[in-house]
Amino acid sequence: MEDILDIMTSRKSIRRYNTDPVPDEMLDKILEAARWAPTGENYQPWRFVVVRNQETRNKIGDLAKVGSGSRMTAWYCLGHMQERFAGIKDPVKRAEVLRFMYSGEVSEFAKKAPVVIAVIGSLMEGSVDVPYDLSAAIENMLLMAHAMGLGGCWVHGPVATTRDAKKFKEILGIPTGMGEYKVIAYVSIGWAAEQRKYPRPKKNLEDLVYWEKFGQKERPRHG
Amino acid sequence: MDRNALLNQMLYRMEEVFWHELSDCAPWKTEYVGIDFIQAQDIKGKNEDEVIRACIERIKAAGLAENIDYAIGGNGILLKLQVRGCQLMLKETMLRKGGIKPYNCPIANMIRDQLIEKLGYETTYLADMAADEKTGHCALKVAIYATPEKIGAVSDWSKE
Repeated sequence: MEDILDIMTSRKSIRRYNTDPVPDEMLDKILEAARWAPTGENYQPWRFVVVRNQETRNKIGDLAKVGSGSRMTAWYCLGHMQERFAGIKDPVKRAEVLRFMYSGEVSEFAKKAPVVIAVIGSLMEGSVDVPYDLSAAIENMLLMAHAMGLGGCWVHGPVATTRDAKKFKEILGIPTGMGEYKVIAYVSIGWAAEQRKYPRPKKNLEDLVYWEKFGQKERPRHG
Repeated sequence: MDRNALLNQMLYRMEEVFWHELSDCAPWKTEYVGIDFIQAQDIKGKNEDEVIRACIERIKAAGLAENIDYAIGGNGILLKLQVRGCQLMLKETMLRKGGIKPYNCPIANMIRDQLIEKLGYETTYLADMAADEKTGHCALKVAIYATPEKIGAVSDWSKE
């Protein structure tokens, strides 16, 4: 059995895809992986809307572009984006990256992803911890896709605001009542057409872990 | 009973727990807070100046704020609001004492809502909220996008 840590540490968010279709059998395995995610009280609130239709994906891509672009344009105007990307020393490259971000093009890729899976959760009476359950399902989906050689990306942008979440639901025919279904994100799936830098920088474990009490960095000896 | 204090205390607790759950996503989720009032006011206007002025008139008449000035700049996407005597300043004070930067302005939400509902604006975004509880003055920067093409119309708002 392959060490699952290898799968986890080699996964990257893929936003560029080639046009090859994703076979149904692979898609089924991704959805099956989601079904086995941990869930509070075994409630299994997740529901999935699988979208291959180009017109629908275009609508989702447009919504995501407006969502991300509207926020990032404002952040640029306030100077926040320039601070975030100050690490890019080449001014031409930095300007292009910033334009890519504040135009919203960064989030438009649903149009070119062969498959988009909307992840929604039932908020019916009795449901608990719905966003956490959905997040666990998404992680399973991304790991399963990566383990089979596919690329994927977890995208929150088009549903970030209450108004956009309603638009997203309308595109897919999901009931729009705030007490019915929560849409948390979509997951794009396809064959990668990009080679992302690997590994991406991660914080050191010693900067993240405390022992026995919050703030205590020294690992106690035991045994 | 001070009903306004009670309202502020309740809103504070709701916004506190919302921030605790969602951190910087909380402002994105609260854009509907306040819109029921303004949607019941039958706001009319053929352009953004008329709609904004009508909203401000109704908001002041309801006693939610003593005065609201506005200006539009930044390639037409920056709506600056200067609110004085806001009845919700207490909740902002309580939030800041709890270490949370104020993030939800029902007055801005009302104006944003009517730009979308009455003029068909594509989207809006509350970009910055500077509530000063000492002076009772709140300065807001709201991004307003009449059309999708307005997204990306960047400028330096510090010069506005």
